Amino acid sequence: MSEYLFEMRQIVKEFSGVRALNGIDLAVRPGECVGLCGENGAGKSTLMKVLSGVYPYGTWEGEILFDGKPLRAHSVRDSEDAGIVIIHQELMLVPQLSVAENIFLGNEIRKFGGVMDYDAMYAKAEALLARLKLKDVNVAARVSNYGGGYQQLFEIAKALAKNARLLILDEPSSSLTSSETDTLLSIIEDLKKDGVACVYISHKLEEVARVCDSVTVIRDGKHIVTKPMSEMTTHSIITAMVGREIDNLFPKMEHDVGEVIFEAKHVTCWDVSNPNRKRVDNISFEVRRGEIVGIAGLVGAGRTELVSAIFGAYPGRYEAEVILEGKPLKIRSPEQAIKAGLSLVPEDRKRQGIVPMLGVGDNITLATLAHYAHAGQIDRQAELQTVDAEIKRLRVKTASPELAIAGLSGGNQQKAVLIKMLLPQPKVLILDEPTRGVDVGSKYDIYKLMFELAAKGVAIIMVSSEMPEVLGVSDRVLVVGEGKLQGNFPNVGLTQEQVLAAAISHAAEGSAHAA
Amino acid sequence: MQSQQIQQLFVRYKILALLIAVAIIWIFFHIKTDSAFITPGNLSNLFRQMSITGMLACGMVFVIIAGEIDLSIGSQLGLLGGVVALLTVNHGWGTWPAIGAVLVLGLLIGAFNGFVVTKMRVPSFIVGLGGMLAFRGVVLYITGSSTIAPAPDDLIALGQGFLPPKLSIWIGALIFLGMAALTARRRVRRAKLGLQQGALWIDVARVLAIGVLIFGFVRILNDANGIPIPVMILLGLLAVFTYVSTQTVFGRHIYAVGGNMEATRLSGVNVARVKLVVFALMGLMCAFAGIITVARTGSGSPSAGTGGELDAISACFIGGTSMRGGSGTVYGALIGALVMASLDSGMQLMDVDNSWQMIIKGVILALAVWVDVLSGSNRG
Repeated sequence: MSEYLFEMRQIVKEFSGVRALNGIDLAVRPGECVGLCGENGAGKSTLMKVLSGVYPYGTWEGEILFDGKPLRAHSVRDSEDAGIVIIHQELMLVPQLSVAENIFLGNEIRKFGGVMDYDAMYAKAEALLARLKLKDVNVAARVSNYGGGYQQLFEIAKALAKNARLLILDEPSSSLTSSETDTLLSIIEDLKKDGVACVYISHKLEEVARVCDSVTVIRDGKHIVTKPMSEMTTHSIITAMVGREIDNLFPKMEHDVGEVIFEAKHVTCWDVSNPNRKRVDNISFEVRRGEIVGIAGLVGAGRTELVSAIFGAYPGRYEAEVILEGKPLKIRSPEQAIKAGLSLVPEDRKRQGIVPMLGVGDNITLATLAHYAHAGQIDRQAELQTVDAEIKRLRVKTASPELAIAGLSGGNQQKAVLIKMLLPQPKVLILDEPTRGVDVGSKYDIYKLMFELAAKGVAIIMVSSEMPEVLGVSDRVLVVGEGKLQGNFPNVGLTQEQVLAAAISHAAEGSAHAA
Repeated sequence: MQSQQIQQLFVRYKILALLIAVAIIWIFFHIKTDSAFITPGNLSNLFRQMSITGMLACGMVFVIIAGEIDLSIGSQLGLLGGVVALLTVNHGWGTWPAIGAVLVLGLLIGAFNGFVVTKMRVPSFIVGLGGMLAFRGVVLYITGSSTIAPAPDDLIALGQGFLPPKLSIWIGALIFLGMAALTARRRVRRAKLGLQQGALWIDVARVLAIGVLIFGFVRILNDANGIPIPVMILLGLLAVFTYVSTQTVFGRHIYAVGGNMEATRLSGVNVARVKLVVFALMGLMCAFAGIITVARTGSGSPSAGTGGELDAISACFIGGTSMRGGSGTVYGALIGALVMASLDSGMQLMDVDNSWQMIIKGVILALAVWVDVLSGSNRG
């Protein structure tokens, strides 16, 4: 018996001649948490698909040992039976089913052969949630009644219900607030004490540093380094990931802040399904020419609702007074907003940002197609010329502008969406979580672009849940909590603690709360 | 670079695969019917038969690409055909004013469907189901459930007439020269703007292939009286719809709306308007199909177009339109319609029992989509 619960040796995976993985090693001891770091496109997802049986045994080379025995999974089911469970970045819960039904989905406790044994499932679901220190959950209620933080924990309960011995968490905190992430990390610590092993994949290196015992870095499908966490620093991990030194994550450029050009007054949004509840309650703020304003707060605080109401995209009832360069605007749709000089890069790239089947170029020009048209007919050559130039300028990595955008990595997709919303030449640019799921290199490019735009006099509003980003980029920080403006700080000597205090002080329940 | 070429070849291969499928079907029937299938007379008939389904498929392919469906088109066809028959036969309208009125009426009916789908937010499947019943009911009511006949001669000529052979040759030559000129112009413009060029031989080969296809088509049909007018109308619609889908802002917006409606809305596109126009065009195509149906049969039958929606939808899916919306081509849908018409015509010639005809058509529809799924083009 080896000391490892699980070992991958010299994994090689090829896609039509291209080596996506080139000899990767990864090993985890029982009760150990290994951080897996690498830029987008480094091969983390491919590695996890090999591990979890998405790519069946035989379609890759190398060896996987589990419990000292070779593991030859032909399907996801096989690897789950062995005790390997993946929790994906996007939550895989069925919102219409209850908490317990989700926890036991595909793994139902039955009686009489095929009848759901609800009593047993409710009891066991409660026990599992108690193990995760969740006490106020009604396991018979629909999952959609609970917020993102809770849902992430339901996923873990689902994994535990399958007797997971190795838990793979792929960017688990990407849609969590910092307090929810705290809860998640302390639960992982508890699971480690119970002997559950973890692979923790994250771009958020502070989390890796906190919860992982060792770190493996991969780059371009190759194994770069594996070391105990105690011998690594955030800086050394980044250096290993990028392959070059990045001295400054935030390439701050001096830019002049001018007069007020944008004002939002008395923005109020009502909940779509509960018309008595205000998601945003009478928020007013202003932005100056060339100013970057960060909007911080917990997930669900109303930040996304605030900016989508300004952009005319909020799906429910809302009121908002928007003034640009002294003139009040009448905005009831994104179409009008863009015409007036506003642009919004939405939060959820897959659902709101890209049209997956269309080409990269077609996506880029979607908001400005009329610019390349005469009497409704597109001048494809003129269009392609702009697309080529923009792809080069922002270093979007794609073999051709005609390839479907779905095939690009998250960072490159995000750059394409950014270009799309910059081509209308907005005076006010609204970015909602602009670097979510984006690799370090692309992040750098995006920040650099933001500073360049600010220097040209564009007013930028950035909603972000990543505190270092808010503090690293903004000239001024607005804090939203419980739908209200809780703070408005110039970013001079501002600390994470100050922002967090403003964000949390009004959210009485503190940690993850049900929506 | 390499992968792009492979992908382009694959896209082209898909059209080729469809054309090969048509060829196989034709050869099969030709052998089975003792050389009665690939004859100018039969092919002329075949193309005329597919023209009505083809017109419906032109509209339907946009509807499906936009992520919707319209099940009411068979009944719309019946209603619009009924109206044109009533106006000309019972109310003494001239043929052309009646056609104009029915085209406008089709546009309005389609726009109304689109309004219910986009503004009142009733799912299009339901709107179609409701329309299927309601529009059929209206035809039965206004015609008193009886056939309206006889249609005036100039209307019948539209359905049963032919283009003079000389004119067909001139039109064919004009189309060929137009294609060649457009290709050349694009190459010149690309060179001027310093953009990547496709290989010259591919462009030349494509233009030549189109030339051979046009020549063969005109030649065969000229051996049997010339190009039927409904087929010429369908070809005109093919050109217009292909142009709209590939060259215009509106066309691009249809694909974007079907591919991801939310992202498209947030890009400042008025998605409701795009869908409304798509439904209006569908109604217009129903008017075309209804008028031609009356013209072909010489009468307005209250049951005309029954099941037409299924033929049109099948044609789209056989032609590679994605179930989920966001991708598909007009010519693909028309080749799909050709496949369906070929099966009908061949099996009738072979005297296959009606029950077997239905079974075979059903199986082939499922099979065609399965092949499409296997080739990976339907993955979203």
